[in-house]
Amino acid sequence: MPRLTARERRDRYQREYAFQKRHGKSFFPHAVFHDTIVSLIVVGIIMGMSILWWAQFEPVPLEPGVERAGGILGPAYEGRADPGVEAYDPKPEWYFFFLFELLRIFKTPELLIVGSVIIPTVWMVLLIGWPFIDRNPDRRLSRRPVALAVGVCVPIVLLTLTFYGSKAPGAGGAASQAPGAAAFAGGACSTCHAFADAGSAGNVGPSLTDNAVDYDLAYDLIANGKGGMPAFSGTYSEDEMKCLAGYVATHSGAPAGEKGPEAATAAEVYPAACETAGGLFAGGGAAATGD
Amino acid sequence: MSTLLPPPSEIARMPADWVEERSGLLSIGKYMLFRNVPKDISWLQTLGSALMTVFILQATTGVLLAMYYQPDPNTAWNTIAFITNDATLGWLVRGMHKWGSSIMVVLLFLHMGRTFLFGAYKYPREMTWITGAIIFILVMAMSFTGYLLVFDERAYWATVVGVNINGTAPILGPALSYILMVGPEISTHTLSRFYALHMLALPGAIGGLIALHLWLVIRLGVTSPPWSRMKVTEGDV
Repeated sequence: MPRLTARERRDRYQREYAFQKRHGKSFFPHAVFHDTIVSLIVVGIIMGMSILWWAQFEPVPLEPGVERAGGILGPAYEGRADPGVEAYDPKPEWYFFFLFELLRIFKTPELLIVGSVIIPTVWMVLLIGWPFIDRNPDRRLSRRPVALAVGVCVPIVLLTLTFYGSKAPGAGGAASQAPGAAAFAGGACSTCHAFADAGSAGNVGPSLTDNAVDYDLAYDLIANGKGGMPAFSGTYSEDEMKCLAGYVATHSGAPAGEKGPEAATAAEVYPAACETAGGLFAGGGAAATGD
Repeated sequence: MSTLLPPPSEIARMPADWVEERSGLLSIGKYMLFRNVPKDISWLQTLGSALMTVFILQATTGVLLAMYYQPDPNTAWNTIAFITNDATLGWLVRGMHKWGSSIMVVLLFLHMGRTFLFGAYKYPREMTWITGAIIFILVMAMSFTGYLLVFDERAYWATVVGVNINGTAPILGPALSYILMVGPEISTHTLSRFYALHMLALPGAIGGLIALHLWLVIRLGVTSPPWSRMKVTEGDV
């Protein structure tokens, strides 16, 4: 077959489509009939899921502000949002799991931007610009090896990331008796940071088991936040932040129960600040189990 | 005396004729319904219309939810509990909105996969793909902004992390996070900002893009599957 110019190829497609249309069928009622059936099935599925969700609700709790539990489709709603107090595993909705997993892969501060910005941006540009990237005029999959490879790989990558994202671990319980450990494990910190001493397995932010942080940096991060980490100066008091920073500086970069290389930087305030802060901050592991 | 009234069949047509003469809407409707499509189109090509059905469902249940919901950190959670526990069929309206969003994302992926496999984004339908891709991104933004509104623990923390991730982007990132949250942390203003985006700006944009997408589909026609045997032969044109 002679090689066609782009203009000729376009004209040829228009001729062919005009032919298919001329020998086609009317949109109404033929296509509308199929569309209606599929739409009804979809609405049926949505109603079915809503009814299944509702049918497994537990009775409304008597206490205000607490979760109303449900069955396999999850609770009616969880407890009222209470910033900074509860340990919480911040899982996104399932269709953001792939992004969540990307962030777990690129979790060091230097690489975070790859998962959070670069890959999603590249992905969106490829998505929108795809008709200009794939210039192969053929529509049959057997003649579109590159598109076929992309069409197979992208769903596999997305499904894999979604699967692992759904299995991402949440917060753990306190293991250490050190002052501040219970507050770390019971507060927002354990949501994101793995920290062997506090028994926490969060995986969103950098691991404190692997990275030693000195007192000043820890205090600054807790108070002011950085990158994906929220600022806690509005949530915790001065002493509470000093206690947490002191605890992190003393035990980060070491296995559970051992002091880390930056322990000396916290000597002035820790554990004194924890005593002043009181409550969960003063106690060891016992306070955490009582929580 | 001659008859003053035209025959009944003509009277019945008068309202329609009145509208048609002034707006041409009936011809547009006829053009949309009675256009030809290739005769070998497949069941896979019903996903777009199913998505529009879900969009209409989301809009309808969304309006009903907005009648009870208050975007204020002190009362948002209570109004959600009220809708779920006390309002007549509130659980159904909220349930359909909640599960409808998940189904919408699934259908979007399937619809996009179908378009991809059929090569339906190729000439002359490139713009249809581009509008669809933008709709896809906006729907993801819809679900992100909607997630916070329940204002339970999951909603709160997922949004904190989401917005902060946004903040890791260079240059614009921190500013964007600040704009999204209206300050350094989630507050009353954050909730009403997310609510305004979720129920006004984003659905408006999506609705407009759907209209454009649909116009392109009608103008350019539905593709026949790549395995179609309906090929033009010499002498047939």
